[in-house]
Amino acid sequence: MSRVEVDRVSKHYGAVRALDDVSLTFEDGEFFGLLGPSGSGKTTLLRAIAGFVEPDAGDIRFDGRAVRDVAVHRREIGMVFQNYALFPHMSVFDNIAFGLSVRRVAAAEISRRVTEMLGLVRLGGFEQRRPRQLSGGQQQRVALARALVTKPRVLLLDEPLGALDKRLRQQMQIELRQIQREVGITTIFVTHDQEEALTLSDRIAIFNEGRVVQLGAPHAVYERPSSAFAASFLGDANFFAGRVSTAGGQIETDGGRRIATFDALPPAGARITVAVRPEKMLLEAGTAGERDTPNRWPGVVKQAVYSGSSISYRVDVGTEIVVFAQNQSAQPLELGTAVAVSWSPLHSVVVESSP
Amino acid sequence: MGKAGIILVRGYLVLLLLFLYLPIAVMIVMAFNQSALYQLPFVFDLKWFASLAGNQRLLDAGFNTIEIALINTVIATTLGSMAAVVFARYSFRGKTLMQLLLFPPITIPWLIIGNSMLFMFYWIGIRRGIVAMLLGHVALSLPYVIIVVGAQFKSFGTTLEEAAATLGASPWQAFRRVTLPMVAPGMVAAALFAFAISFDQFVISYFLAAPGVTTLPVEIYTAIRKGYTPEINAISTIIIVVSMGLMLLVARFYRFGGER
Amino acid sequence: MRRTARRRLAIVGLTAPAYLWLALTIFLPLSAMFYFSFLSALPLPGRTVSVTLDSYRTILTKELYLINAKRSLLLGIHVTIGCIVIGFPAALALAKYVHGRWREAVFLLIVLPFWSNGLVRTFSWTMVLRRDGLLDWFVRLFIPDAPSFDLLFSYPAIIIGLIHAYVPYMILTCYVSLQAIDDSLIEAARSLGASTLTIFRRIILPLSLPGLIAGTILIFVPVIGSFMEPAILGGKDAIMLGPIIERQFSASANWPLGAALSFMLLAIVLAILAAAAPILRPRLQAT
Repeated sequence: MSRVEVDRVSKHYGAVRALDDVSLTFEDGEFFGLLGPSGSGKTTLLRAIAGFVEPDAGDIRFDGRAVRDVAVHRREIGMVFQNYALFPHMSVFDNIAFGLSVRRVAAAEISRRVTEMLGLVRLGGFEQRRPRQLSGGQQQRVALARALVTKPRVLLLDEPLGALDKRLRQQMQIELRQIQREVGITTIFVTHDQEEALTLSDRIAIFNEGRVVQLGAPHAVYERPSSAFAASFLGDANFFAGRVSTAGGQIETDGGRRIATFDALPPAGARITVAVRPEKMLLEAGTAGERDTPNRWPGVVKQAVYSGSSISYRVDVGTEIVVFAQNQSAQPLELGTAVAVSWSPLHSVVVESSP
Repeated sequence: MGKAGIILVRGYLVLLLLFLYLPIAVMIVMAFNQSALYQLPFVFDLKWFASLAGNQRLLDAGFNTIEIALINTVIATTLGSMAAVVFARYSFRGKTLMQLLLFPPITIPWLIIGNSMLFMFYWIGIRRGIVAMLLGHVALSLPYVIIVVGAQFKSFGTTLEEAAATLGASPWQAFRRVTLPMVAPGMVAAALFAFAISFDQFVISYFLAAPGVTTLPVEIYTAIRKGYTPEINAISTIIIVVSMGLMLLVARFYRFGGER
Repeated sequence: MRRTARRRLAIVGLTAPAYLWLALTIFLPLSAMFYFSFLSALPLPGRTVSVTLDSYRTILTKELYLINAKRSLLLGIHVTIGCIVIGFPAALALAKYVHGRWREAVFLLIVLPFWSNGLVRTFSWTMVLRRDGLLDWFVRLFIPDAPSFDLLFSYPAIIIGLIHAYVPYMILTCYVSLQAIDDSLIEAARSLGASTLTIFRRIILPLSLPGLIAGTILIFVPVIGSFMEPAILGGKDAIMLGPIIERQFSASANWPLGAALSFMLLAIVLAILAAAAPILRPRLQAT
């Protein structure tokens, strides 16, 4: 169980900067998610930690010791690949035992530990099966068992649940977290699925174009995105551009509305963009807000998309915004209904400002 | 597709297969026919095969053919597999060029390759004979081995070796326990292929053979030029059966190669 | 050792043996042949030789060689067309109208003779084409007193033998192109109102063009340089580049001329390959 430090790591391929001066610390025992769009650098970083990618600059340290000159097979890591990479010509038992046999562990010991691991991933009895006889979820568990049985210092997961269907994925997410807690291993995983990142991680880092755009606990990063990119990549957001108003704690949008916020604001007159998440907004039918009331605007329902547990509305408030409502009444609002859209100043998040 | 259409398609393919196999079939049948002038009616006789056993020239040529083919197989498969590993695992400057260089042996007419080898070996002092033919056969086999083994690598990708590395296997251990078992079927297919290429090779052998030191195809050619006898049919039958048998084996190994 | 250095060593060390072998047996010899084509005679000990353009001059001036070059090219064209006519429908049948295990079986059957001994296959055609051979026997089943076709030792015999030898190449390359054509493309075309003929003309044919071109190259090049089939099946009628080149190394013992002729042939081959490279390259990346 190790602490992994990434210190100012850069990597470029020709003109493309895959990693641009990235610094992160993964604490011992943490479940850390690297999130971002394709090509953002998250996978490059994971592979650099594993040792498949050699950084052009910067250092990576396991428990304080630099691993730059340490070959992959000596880093004591465990890795689960996107396609599981199970050895097709070996049984489940031999796959899991591989790391141990390579270290010349005694046969009896191997047997004990493999059986223990199979129990942990709930695949007892599958020892003699071949990978091709297993379902996706089972293969994934074998890959995990194989990576963990050698008691590595760090567990690296490369989009581990990507190949599974939705229901199975949700189930595996819970199992994965349980196993990680039991074993207590520092885990770094890469995903482009924001929901997965949010549910699994102790902390997440959002990547874009080779840089870390925001870092923190899921709750903090989600509720307080620091940039428009973070706000729209993780979840959805309505954006309002405008100027800081002379009235305290308020913004005048370009559309002539007012927004109140508890966030710190630059001086009056500065350009600013505020994000409000759709689920934070409340729709009241039958009343209308007034034009100048901050955070309570009149609007007209333009579209209602029914998704079972929730309904998402497109509302015209001068500009079009999205509002998520929980399906409490089983009666979506009809098109053309006049509504008041309101939200708390707590949820007006300043994402971009310029002096 | 209508009934008539299906019959048309099947009929066409049957005709094509007849076109491909009938001459060979006739040749084989005539090897078992008693008549020395290929006359009918057909009378079964093994005498032409029997006379082969007494034909010292053919026996020597046969021995040479097999000897060269075996050595060719070992050398070509080893060298070719090594190169295939590099192409599958690494990307580097000049890789495309190197892959392109594999094409001349396959695409340049053997006539040109044959006589250019003649010049080269004459120049550096290698006499015509077994060594010269071996040098030529390996050169012809190498591209095919590299392609066949390379394709086997492609179908498995590099992640398995990466996984082995993360599990603590040194490069050698990973090679021995993961890479090798997976490529094995491809290597066997390539080896059989190399053997067949050498076994059947005529043009290069023709140029590089020396008086008294020839291979079966060269002897058969000389015999044909002198005049047809069913003895030629007999030896040809043996050769074509061995040859096709080998390719059937290659097909088995290549198709069922590895666990899918 | 640093990782990059180790890597470099592995790359060089593993590819060097194979490529050195190829250098010694293919690339250097081609240069040697080029060099020899400029000599007046084979440098035997005790003989003085000089550098000369005589061989090339002979080739370009003497009508014999030009005629032969033309005949070889013509042979290439005839054989290639024959292979297209016979092979393309077969590839189409295999790709679209035969399925499952039958497809594999037929495919294997087509390819099997192709990879077996070419000399023996050519010889087997003599059994069919010679006087009183299979062809005559078959015809006489219906017309007892028919005269012999006696096709052996004629230009048509060479063509038949070469088509038999190379048609599987065409079937293979066309098959690869054709079976890559998704059935949904054809269904979409039909739903848009296209007749079968139109579909063939505007969808199947253009998409199978790479296969046809690849097959053409793979057949044309060896055919113009072939000497075994013309020698066995053509007899005296085998007046083509291949046999002529071969003769320089046996009967005529004019190695420099043989070298020059080979080089001319090689130049033609390389020109064809260079012309076709842009079409073939994307297909190569795919394999």
